[in-house]
Amino acid sequence: MTPVHFSFCSAFILGLMGLTFHRTHLLSALLCLEGMMLSLFIALALWTLQFEMTGFSAAPMLLLAFSACEASAGLALLVATARTHGTDRLQNLNLLQC
Amino acid sequence: MTYLVSLLLIALIVGLVAVASNPAPYFAALGLVVAAGVGCGVLISHGGSFLSLVLFLIYLGGMLVVFAYSAALAAEPFPESWGDRSVLGYVVIYFVGVGLMMKFFCGGWYEGSWMIIDTFKEFSMLRGDISGVAMMYSLGGSMLVICAWVLLLTLFVVLELTRGLSRGSLRAV
Repeated sequence: MTPVHFSFCSAFILGLMGLTFHRTHLLSALLCLEGMMLSLFIALALWTLQFEMTGFSAAPMLLLAFSACEASAGLALLVATARTHGTDRLQNLNLLQC
Repeated sequence: MTYLVSLLLIALIVGLVAVASNPAPYFAALGLVVAAGVGCGVLISHGGSFLSLVLFLIYLGGMLVVFAYSAALAAEPFPESWGDRSVLGYVVIYFVGVGLMMKFFCGGWYEGSWMIIDTFKEFSMLRGDISGVAMMYSLGGSMLVICAWVLLLTLFVVLELTRGLSRGSLRAV
């Protein structure tokens, strides 16, 4: 693996592990998701640049647009959680707990 | 020159470790800003100046600013930085993990591992990445329309999610 390839792969895996082992805040899980999107944008853009496939440079732009949609949906959920439970701590989302 | 790119790549990994170790969201957003900035540097060193500018403007200047404002919803009296015991454990584990993976998987810089777009095309007026994005308006027009439709749909999704008075989601009242 070249160093560039290794670094964005490990950036994606780090974001995924941060999302998996989230601790207290919902917002920190959403930020790990944004980190994954960042590593995917860098990966697609580097694919375009290193293979000189100029027509593929629309792909990172479209990825960015769809990730903006996903980030806004996540933030709307965060706002709804903060309005209902008063905070975004994940231990407060326990209405269905027996 | 490879030292500069190696430094940027290390800063990318350090920034994402700073996000993944889940400190208070203020500090995680800071780590993401640093990671996006050096990611732009990596893209520039491969010749993709337009894509790097798009990343800076839209990702950092649009999405991360909104995340920074939303960090006010995660306010706590004693925010945990990377020096606190629980977060530092995660930081150490992630650095050790990345080091182990680097030992097994990371190779070196070899001839042809770092291709810069538009290498022998100095006399071209249009750069590669910007004319590729312009293809999104000509041959990829249907994808552009779908993308715009999805963005409009997301606007209404957000409106319905944050509607109150027991008609939105996550309302127990």
